[in-house]
Amino acid sequence: MTPDDEKPPRTDPDIIAAAEVANVDEDIDDAEYVSGLPGVLGVIDAAIARIESVLLALGVLAMAVNTMANVVGRVIGSTIYFSEELNQALIILITFAGISYAARHGRHIRMSAFFDAMPFRPRKMLMVAIAAITAAGMFLLTWYSVVYVLEQASRGRLLPALQIPQWWIIVWAPLGFFLTGLQYALTAIKNVIDKDIWLSTSTLEGYDDSVEEEV
Amino acid sequence: DTWRYAFEEALEEVQGKYAQKFKEEVEANSDHTVELFPFGTLGESADIMEQAQSGILQFVDQSPGFTGALIPEAQVFFVPYLLPEDQDQLFSFFRNSKAIKELFPPLYEAQGLELLTMFPEGEVMMTTQEPVASPEDLNEVKFRVMTNPLIVESYQAFGATPTPLPWGEVYGAMQTGIIQGQENPAFFIESTKMYEVSEHITRAGHNNFTTAVMANKEFYDGLSDEDKQVVQDATQAAFDYILDYQDGLTEESLEKIMEAKPSMTITELSEEERQPFRDTAESVEAEYLEIGGEQAQAILDQMKADLEAAAGASGGETAEDGGEAMDSSAESGSDGAAADDAGAESDSASEGDDGAMDEADAGSETEEAPAN
Amino acid sequence: MTWAIFGTMIVLLLLGFPMMIPLLAGSLIGFVALFGGFGQLDTMVQQVLAGIRPASLIAVPMFIFAADIMTRGQSANRLIDLVMTFVGHFKGGLAISTAGACTMFGAVSGSTQATVVAVGGPLRPRMLKAGYNDSFVLALIVNSSDIAFLIPPSIGMIIYGVVSGTSISELFIAGIGPGLLILFMFSVYSYIYATRHNVPVEPKASWGERAAAVKRAIWPLGFPAIIIGGIYGGIFSPTEAAAACVLYALFLEMIVFREMNFKQLYATAKSTGLITAVVFILVGAGAAFSYVISFAQIPQQILAGIGIDQMGQYGVLFTISVAFFVGCMFVDPIVVILILVPIFAPVVADVGLDPVLVGTIITLQVAIGSATPPFGCDIFTAIAVFKRPYTEVVKGTPPFIFMLLSVAVLLIFFPQIALFLRDLAFAK
Ligand code: NA
Ligand code: NA
Repeated sequence: MTPDDEKPPRTDPDIIAAAEVANVDEDIDDAEYVSGLPGVLGVIDAAIARIESVLLALGVLAMAVNTMANVVGRVIGSTIYFSEELNQALIILITFAGISYAARHGRHIRMSAFFDAMPFRPRKMLMVAIAAITAAGMFLLTWYSVVYVLEQASRGRLLPALQIPQWWIIVWAPLGFFLTGLQYALTAIKNVIDKDIWLSTSTLEGYDDSVEEEV
Repeated sequence: DTWRYAFEEALEEVQGKYAQKFKEEVEANSDHTVELFPFGTLGESADIMEQAQSGILQFVDQSPGFTGALIPEAQVFFVPYLLPEDQDQLFSFFRNSKAIKELFPPLYEAQGLELLTMFPEGEVMMTTQEPVASPEDLNEVKFRVMTNPLIVESYQAFGATPTPLPWGEVYGAMQTGIIQGQENPAFFIESTKMYEVSEHITRAGHNNFTTAVMANKEFYDGLSDEDKQVVQDATQAAFDYILDYQDGLTEESLEKIMEAKPSMTITELSEEERQPFRDTAESVEAEYLEIGGEQAQAILDQMKADLEAAAGASGGETAEDGGEAMDSSAESGSDGAAADDAGAESDSASEGDDGAMDEADAGSETEEAPAN
Repeated sequence: MTWAIFGTMIVLLLLGFPMMIPLLAGSLIGFVALFGGFGQLDTMVQQVLAGIRPASLIAVPMFIFAADIMTRGQSANRLIDLVMTFVGHFKGGLAISTAGACTMFGAVSGSTQATVVAVGGPLRPRMLKAGYNDSFVLALIVNSSDIAFLIPPSIGMIIYGVVSGTSISELFIAGIGPGLLILFMFSVYSYIYATRHNVPVEPKASWGERAAAVKRAIWPLGFPAIIIGGIYGGIFSPTEAAAACVLYALFLEMIVFREMNFKQLYATAKSTGLITAVVFILVGAGAAFSYVISFAQIPQQILAGIGIDQMGQYGVLFTISVAFFVGCMFVDPIVVILILVPIFAPVVADVGLDPVLVGTIITLQVAIGSATPPFGCDIFTAIAVFKRPYTEVVKGTPPFIFMLLSVAVLLIFFPQIALFLRDLAFAK
């Protein structure tokens, strides 16, 4: 039971401030999102970003309402027997809309200690490699998710309570993997053509806002 | 070769016992080895089924209730009081049923599966906090059921409030009172410790849990005739073994429960008490015909014919009464008196046998455990 | 194959890849090696989806959402103010209260991830402001939340009970002793930490101030009432209690306190969705990885080689502890229990060990493993929710792991820590 260090605590005031205001000032303002893509592609990208964020927010709200409605239903004696399946559908939707939104804003969890300790040049090259390999992995999973969804569609599996085809609720998986892959591919390109190091097409690596970006 | 075999229960539960016997037989009579994957180790019931369809697994045990999401006809096994309450009749049905041997295999084939066998796992029993002697006693009782339209329909018809709940939450929910009842075969009530959080076990004889063993179709078709024979022989040997194994298992499980919790009451409903439950079968059957797919009617008719034959074949006095019982259930319970007789007979004729079958239901529930 | 998988995972992790990549790469290599190519990768996708599907996981986004609303508004602060008027003048009082709150919340919610969010979220800024070091705070929150595994209801114990055929009621009671012992050790450590680091105490509050704090916290005290009363009163499952907290938090912050408008509600929901996605894709990737380990029967192969059937009671307990500890470092705890318990069951019976004691030790190891690097759900959750780097989150962990491991050792030599209450309750 040895305390990890003997110094009096000197917590960085910035960290305290950031923790105190919770997430408020870190909320991503979709209106201010600037796509890393030029022209029409940028407009499409910004529109996708907006759709993702709406799906995320509505998905979470719907999940709360659905779960509570089930409680109320049970108390008054008529259970919503498809409640669990609806939540399954929502969690899949949230996860796959969210991974691409997180990629877009550089919010995926990573262990960046060694990365951060590297000098600029190798770090930049490594960032290109990370983004490119991650993109490749996501595209691979996109392909096999499509295969899986088509398989499920051809097998005709139904959700037992809702009695709808099961593939309807998993179709978000290939979509989410694809959009995530796209974000990482663009990040790789952005790192090649730009002089700075980018965590995503819109997020610059840097220590000033490390609290926000290093997650 | 190494053949992989996944099932929905733990190694020492009924499906696990079957799988162990199957493995033993295959390995004794061929150079192949069988690796066993109990519930949860490769995913939930639906997951292992898909893996068998894609050929990652060579064998899979899935209960028709779950297969219902893929082959709607298989839900016929959820129609209450369709399967006989008498064990001899039940076993005879599973040995000889034309529905199982001829009508179901093409349905499984269409899903890339070779249906090897179906067998019963045990009589489904209700565990509740208050005694249950009639549907009125289930009024307002929140009863945990599997997520399946027919079971929901059954318990609604019984007068309860069917409450689908993920299996992992059932123990806690029984303890705190979110739900006041759940159903399972005796061996599963014992193995999952559900008796610790229940006060009463009621045997209404409304169902017997059924399960099915399948092989990946492409794999099976690609086997040499010799290997096919090995698989068929192992299937048959394990089938015989599992019926033997079940003989007395329910009574054994119930004894263990009583030993662990002497305050438990176990009630076997009389024929008169069962009648009002039996009367609800009609509405569930109608629901089955609605959602059971194109061949629902054909399967149901054949099942009833098979059951009649089984009742006739199971011998002696019971045969006659049993036959009538089958008729009555064919008429959807309109002929209550006949059913009464049959039930009374089979009760007295084979108390111990009845017990053996109870185990089967457990399987259905076990499957869900890994999900949580 | 085993070494290729683990090696690749560690390298990718250290290079700074998004954490889902090491986990997905581990399973990818496994699938390709097992099936001789890419042909079965659809099953890998199946397993990712299976990982995020379990109904009990819904509690996580719901508690994240509730905690976020409470922290943005006034509920959380009013509750903490109330606690501080009673414990603020003690050395380490805030840290001890945090550990206690995590234990209690974890006990009823049954979810360690939800605990990290719901208790850690509001309390962390207060601890930082009070002068605690962030790495201590993060480690305290993550590890105290894991006490939840030991205090009923515990999903880990239910699974163990079912797989091993052990009484779940007895397991539940046996977990309480070690759980409280850990809480006690964490409290002592918090006290020592606060003393050594000179964390300042607040002036002792008068009874008048305390009464005022109670009054201010009347509405927010509805949260513990909903969670504890709702769950033990048989109205909610833990998952549903989480959703009820969301609605209650919205009622307080939007209607009673008027701290939140619809725009903020939208932003909060979106932020919850984002955190959920970032954590759940790792849960899914972890499930695919677990599948490979399970399918390839890697634990069976490793354990077959060490001759566990030659060991005595202590040897068996020690081996079990190490196996679960290592297993849970990489793989989801539930899967570890499902795979390993049947392997050990015959040996446990042979050497005459009490399965309830074994279950308690396994549950403890599972708790330790979930908070131990490199991979663990609670670590991921803390990173995503608190937005702190990985290294910062795990830096303060060693003293806690040390305390937890010493409880594990104590349990092996003094089983009465677990069995005392059980024997009392079941008159054994
Ligand atoms: Na708990
Ligand atoms: Na871990």
